[in-house]
Amino acid sequence: MELLLVGLNHRSVSVSQREGLAALGTDEWLRRLRSAGWQEAVVVSTCNRFEVYAGSADLRSRGPEVLEEFLESNLGAPLGDGVYRRVGGAAARRLFTVAAGLDSLVVGESEILGQVKQAYETARSHKMTGKLTNVLFQRALYAGKLVRSRTGIGSGRLSVASAAVALAERIFGNLSKSSVLILGAGKMAELSAKHLLSGKVSRLYLANRTWTRAVELAAKFRAEAIRWEDFPPLLSRVDIVISSTGAPKPIMTAEGIAAACRSRRGRSLFLIDIAMPRDIEESVHALDHVYLYTLQDLDGIVAENSARRRGEVAAARALVDEKSAEFQAWIAAVANGERAGLTHSMRGRASSATEPSRLPVTS
Amino acid sequence: MMEFYLFGMTSVFYAIATGFALFYLYSRHERWSRWMLYFLGAGVCLHLPSFAFRLQEFWSVPANRYYVPINSFYGALSYLALVVALTFFVVEARHRLGILGAFVLPWACLASLSAVFRACHVGNTEIYQLTPALRSYWINIHPMMLMTAYAILGNAFGVGLAFLVQENQVKSRRPTELCYRLPAIADLEDLNYHLVVFAFPILVFGILVGGIWAYGAWGRFWGWDAKEIWALVTALVYGGYLVARAAAGWRGVKAVYISMLGFGCAVFTFVGVNFLSELHGYLSKKG
Repeated sequence: MELLLVGLNHRSVSVSQREGLAALGTDEWLRRLRSAGWQEAVVVSTCNRFEVYAGSADLRSRGPEVLEEFLESNLGAPLGDGVYRRVGGAAARRLFTVAAGLDSLVVGESEILGQVKQAYETARSHKMTGKLTNVLFQRALYAGKLVRSRTGIGSGRLSVASAAVALAERIFGNLSKSSVLILGAGKMAELSAKHLLSGKVSRLYLANRTWTRAVELAAKFRAEAIRWEDFPPLLSRVDIVISSTGAPKPIMTAEGIAAACRSRRGRSLFLIDIAMPRDIEESVHALDHVYLYTLQDLDGIVAENSARRRGEVAAARALVDEKSAEFQAWIAAVANGERAGLTHSMRGRASSATEPSRLPVTS
Repeated sequence: MMEFYLFGMTSVFYAIATGFALFYLYSRHERWSRWMLYFLGAGVCLHLPSFAFRLQEFWSVPANRYYVPINSFYGALSYLALVVALTFFVVEARHRLGILGAFVLPWACLASLSAVFRACHVGNTEIYQLTPALRSYWINIHPMMLMTAYAILGNAFGVGLAFLVQENQVKSRRPTELCYRLPAIADLEDLNYHLVVFAFPILVFGILVGGIWAYGAWGRFWGWDAKEIWALVTALVYGGYLVARAAAGWRGVKAVYISMLGFGCAVFTFVGVNFLSELHGYLSKKG
């Protein structure tokens, strides 16, 4: 059994060209592949790529060109020049690269790992996987996880909002008991609110100079609207403050924060000032238990993170190469009828990769 | 002799575990954290039989029978290292805070290496016949309680160090990768507090038990011996920390500094005072 790949991605064609393929749906593609006589096939369809990995018993009668023709006839249009075809080790290496996040627009992003897993499980539920595709996808998921744990490719947040949330977690630990106050209604405040809202914090307050605007935004974020004049007393209760008002002068002074801190009994206060000009006096940061970060600080962190990720690409590629070479050696051994196993564990524990049910597929 | 060979190996294992723990600070690879735990575990596994051999040798002197040999400096240091390592296993390894090894294990390593150094210096592992004053079942309770308290407080001190590093990271506004690998400021502070809360009653009861023993042996409960004074100071500092935190709501850097000062007092009570004390002199040989 030989592995084939036919696909299109964000580098080779535009979104509109991929849309037609994705529109049919993974389930429908799998059904059609089965009726066309393909026994093993997995369709990886995400925002950035459409790829079909298939097993072929005979490359002459079922080669990549046959698979491509099948896709074109079902699409009713030619795939164009952007299409790529791979056979054997090159196809496997391609999937490992995708799973590692090296093919993603945001290098190292981890969503792709879940998408690859989903694609594999859909194919399994259609009984379209066999020994080759089972081991291939389990290995790809394993390599994807390994790359993220051994290299820094997936480490460090790449947006200001998520960097702020990561910092909050370094101060308070689990944020489920923390409460947040959002002042003003900038774009950045909205983004941070979204991140914090993904079920993380216990309470969210929102204050704006215009009461109707506060109510409107509060409804959007499932927050509690606060009248503008009522926000200063809240400073002694909340843990995180995100400020992005258009005020010409600071709305929070060192004296004000120091007074609020007296009734905080030493609990930390994380202030995020993303307004320009600034909403919070710089001297506030010198107070005990108070951590003031500005937009500039957060931008610096994000820039450092993305530089670090870029620096890890070579190490990640080396790991992908190593793992896909292992997979190819396994294929060759199986083809020769030898007994072969793959070490499949983050902890160095050996288990046979020939029995997919025993392998952890969780991501 | 068998005891010392095993203990020497134990110390080497603790030192290697500490090395891995420090290396794990700089490498994000889980492997180093695992090796740290393996070597620490192996160290503990050698430490226990070493202690058993010590007991056997100690009890071969009939007058010593059934007393625990932590009356000497060597014995106390060895026991200290064991409890630091065990506490680390129970607390940090259970909470998957392997990263704290770099802050805690150096104390286990230091204690065991000091014991080895001490033994090499004195030329033996300090198995002596107990003086009549020490032949009391209290010797199985008083030093053991205090050494246990010191070891847990040593863990708390390590956690306090990690807290200061993490606080400094966030305060600097330019956090490095270490910031994202260390536990949160609030969690480190809580862990530091809980370790002190756990150790404090043991410390206080250990001192009180010493008083009761002193009453039986010397006819007085409290005699303002240097060791007694410093033990009291240690207990007062930790007591002050607990009160400041619980009643006055002190948190953060200042509170952690007090708890760390407490550990400084504990170390001085354990080591430094031996040169001053008439009655507790392991080192000065006055006692």
